[in-house]
Amino acid sequence: MNIKDLPEESLFTPGHTACAGCPAPAIVRNMMKIFGKDTIVYTPANCLLVFSGTYPYLAWRVPYLHEAFENTAACISGVARAYRKKGKKTLVVGIAGDGGTYDIGIQALSGAAERNEDVIYVCYDNEAYMNTGIQRSGATPYGAATTTTPAGRKIAGKLEHKKDMAEIMRAHEVPYVATLSISHPKDFLEKVEKAKETEGFRYLHVLSPCPTGWRFDPAKSIEIARKAVDSGMWTLYEAEYGEITNIYKPKKKIPVEEYIKGQGRFRHFTPEMIAELQKWVDRKWKRLYGELPES
Amino acid sequence: MYEIRFHGRGGQGGRMAAEAYALAAFLEGSYAVSFPFFGAERRGAPVRAFTRVDDKKIRIKTQVYEPDYVVVLDETLIETEDVLEGLKEDGMVIINTAKKPEEVRLSKPVKCATVDATSIALEILGRPITNTAILGAIAKATGRVSIDSIEKAIIEKFGARLGKEAGEKNAKAARVAYEKTLVGVAQGGKAFVPRKKWLPTVEEMPIGGATPAMETDAGLVGIGSFIENKTGDWRTFMPIIDKEKCIGCKFCWFYCPEGCISMEDGKASVDYDYCKGCGICANECPVNAIEMKREVRT
Ligand SMILES: Cc1ncc(C[n+]2csc(CCOP(=O)(O)OP(=O)(O)O)c2C)c(N)n1
Ligand code: SF4
Ligand code: SF4
Ligand code: SF4
Ligand SMILES: [Mg+2]
Repeated sequence: MNIKDLPEESLFTPGHTACAGCPAPAIVRNMMKIFGKDTIVYTPANCLLVFSGTYPYLAWRVPYLHEAFENTAACISGVARAYRKKGKKTLVVGIAGDGGTYDIGIQALSGAAERNEDVIYVCYDNEAYMNTGIQRSGATPYGAATTTTPAGRKIAGKLEHKKDMAEIMRAHEVPYVATLSISHPKDFLEKVEKAKETEGFRYLHVLSPCPTGWRFDPAKSIEIARKAVDSGMWTLYEAEYGEITNIYKPKKKIPVEEYIKGQGRFRHFTPEMIAELQKWVDRKWKRLYGELPES
Repeated sequence: MYEIRFHGRGGQGGRMAAEAYALAAFLEGSYAVSFPFFGAERRGAPVRAFTRVDDKKIRIKTQVYEPDYVVVLDETLIETEDVLEGLKEDGMVIINTAKKPEEVRLSKPVKCATVDATSIALEILGRPITNTAILGAIAKATGRVSIDSIEKAIIEKFGARLGKEAGEKNAKAARVAYEKTLVGVAQGGKAFVPRKKWLPTVEEMPIGGATPAMETDAGLVGIGSFIENKTGDWRTFMPIIDKEKCIGCKFCWFYCPEGCISMEDGKASVDYDYCKGCGICANECPVNAIEMKREVRT
């Protein structure tokens, strides 16, 4: 599966009100091309909900429903069971932000994964609560400035590192867990396809650079996603029943310094802060790949 | 007391402009407040902000409905909404446009000041951020605060945020705008049809609010209805595709957030009704077939 195999017909219309350059609409539009028409989508409060559905207007051409922040995974569990009971194969998908996944929705998510509900859960991760104006979440990386972790003189940005949500989901030993980046289309599409074909609980986690919240030029959204992968800030892999089955290794690992360049949320970084972030990347890299690259 | 309503688009800094203006008035000994309209507005979507200035304490907390001055940071807004709504009899509108006041058409003839703040910002700041340049135009057009206070307020407000050098550059943008502002009278006669709202009765309302695609007297609602929302007027720069160079790889088609690129005879083509001008397509095209050009609107 590659870009050219995707159908022309879209299930997500233009006219939505996402910020110019926000990659989230391209993420969901291209996912929907694979999920297909027989899909129902649930979303809690977040940017996606607000820019694609301002009642009574909707960018979706499939049933699209809003539920509360805490219960995305619980809602889709129930809906999927109802469909199965009726003998229907309808794909049931929940799409939540990082706030709705890492923090607020994690209890329902963990429960649904443990029960191996027949659903796809997608986290689009823009590394903060963007819809309410850039508050830090468990997904916000170390040092990033948000409105609740401002770059002050004494404390500069978020003190803690990003939580590894995909690893938490892998530890649930569900049929399928994958991390994706829109900057790697073939890898992205193959994982979405694999998720569609798999039965049981599937978790897709996609990085969604946010020009407004990360403060960068909207033209660079895809470039920044690519740099996130190349630097190891974001890692692409697949896991089945807890075992990593496929892992993407960047040809050349770039230093985090190159990734954070051009992002206003990291502008206050000192050499010490860069070193701290690099250490985190290297630790993660070693854990996943078994060794550090030369570089 | 006098009141100002700022019309801009999310990300253009209308709120900062409203705050900096209030600060300038405060520096001259007045009481002043400013605040944005609260809503889920995204970068590029139409937004409003307000400033009130008085020589005594200001108790009123509502939005500004009957402004003395209307400030328009984004010229495209005067095409889509009646920015003069509620403007006082002898009120004035200050617009960021390359046009002369006499060339501007609004819903009624009105005192009008114009300045090409976008060009000034591009020249001095290197970015089309017009919220400081426009403050110079307000000072010139209204004479309510001095350009010196505007400069001081900008240096204090923007300098604290962006650094001293950026603060000074922004103050310079205001000074240049101050000098270039033209004051005159705009033409009237432009008709606006307010967008109708869909107001169903309880019987008409779908159960649970779940709305299928429905044609109503306010247009399409429900499934797929956002297609009627033309976002092309959010754009400052427009992508121009060189069909000779295009190799039909479809990367732009895949990445475009709006999904407004289609393939015609194997070449990419943009639907400008929706393109927000983000520049992703130009940034990602492997053969540089796309160029972002400053949009000239007529
Ligand atoms: C229970 C509850 N708490 C708070 C809110 C307010 N709220 C709406 S959207 C949002 C931010 C969502 O952040 P995230 O899930 O990361 O999605 P994003 O907006 O970043 O895409 C918040 C806090 C809410 N709607 N419900
Ligand atoms: S705030 Fe960020 S995530 Fe939300 S619509 Fe804008 S760019 Fe997208
Ligand atoms: S600039 Fe390009 S990528 Fe951005 S909205 Fe327009 S066509 Fe799409
Ligand atoms: S990315 Fe460039 S070469 Fe590829 S289809 Fe678009 S315009 Fe053509
Ligand atoms: Mg978020």
